Amino acid sequence: MVKTLSKGEVSVSELIDRPWITIVWDDPVNLMNYVTHVFIKLFGFSKERAHELMMQVHNEGRAVVSTGTREEMERDVQRLHEHGLWATLQRDDKI
Amino acid sequence: MSNFEKVGDGYSLDLTLDEAQILINLVEQLLELLGEGDFFHHYDSNDPLAQLLAMPSEIVTPDDPVLLRLLPNAYADPEAASDFRRYTEPQLRGAKQKNLRLVREQLTVLVDENLGGVIEDLDSDIWLKAINDLRIALSIRLEINETSFETFELLPDEDPQKPVYAVYFWLGWLQENLLELLL
Repeated sequence: MVKTLSKGEVSVSELIDRPWITIVWDDPVNLMNYVTHVFIKLFGFSKERAHELMMQVHNEGRAVVSTGTREEMERDVQRLHEHGLWATLQRDDKI
Repeated sequence: MSNFEKVGDGYSLDLTLDEAQILINLVEQLLELLGEGDFFHHYDSNDPLAQLLAMPSEIVTPDDPVLLRLLPNAYADPEAASDFRRYTEPQLRGAKQKNLRLVREQLTVLVDENLGGVIEDLDSDIWLKAINDLRIALSIRLEINETSFETFELLPDEDPQKPVYAVYFWLGWLQENLLELLL
């Protein structure tokens, strides 16, 4: 008999597959147009998508800009830091 | 009035001598804070293994708030942040120094001739990043927040911080000017 997970339990595969995320945090210095420009350049977003994420950072204080493996997110954070954006990476805490 | 312009496939920047001097002073101050080109001050030069592997042995979280903002922690967890910094900070620091040095090189031509003028063929990406890092550095020293422009306008002209604010907002204007050409 296979035990099914009850709500709130976490399966091993979910833990393993749970991705890492890159978060960009709001700051009072980076210009809105600059943040949009950096998002387009680094992640290849459309102008509309980049603008939307920039507004999310501005209004909500943070936005998730990329998702993937830990190594990929470390690379993204490093590239964002090269552009002066304030970014961190962490495990996605949404399950 | 200084201005970026799109010229063919490239960009140019028109600066007065005063503006070029202000910029080059800021660039040199930030280069000094970043340790100029001297990567090896991070390494214990007496440690032959560290030298052999070019492995940074003494990279710690910066005390200076400007450095901490320019070279921020990548993780909320201090241990993970410190591990990541050990392996990546020299590259990040080096990238910022490289941008600033290229900007300095182009500004030096104007300042040495004691003339304002037009910087031709500038790399928009490098200039954007360098101006941004200068703005970040000034913003930390000035404790910039959402209401700082009002603070600046209310400062009396004789306040020693007034010209620093003026340079900070001028740099923002300059950066916006270049971004409008790019977006």
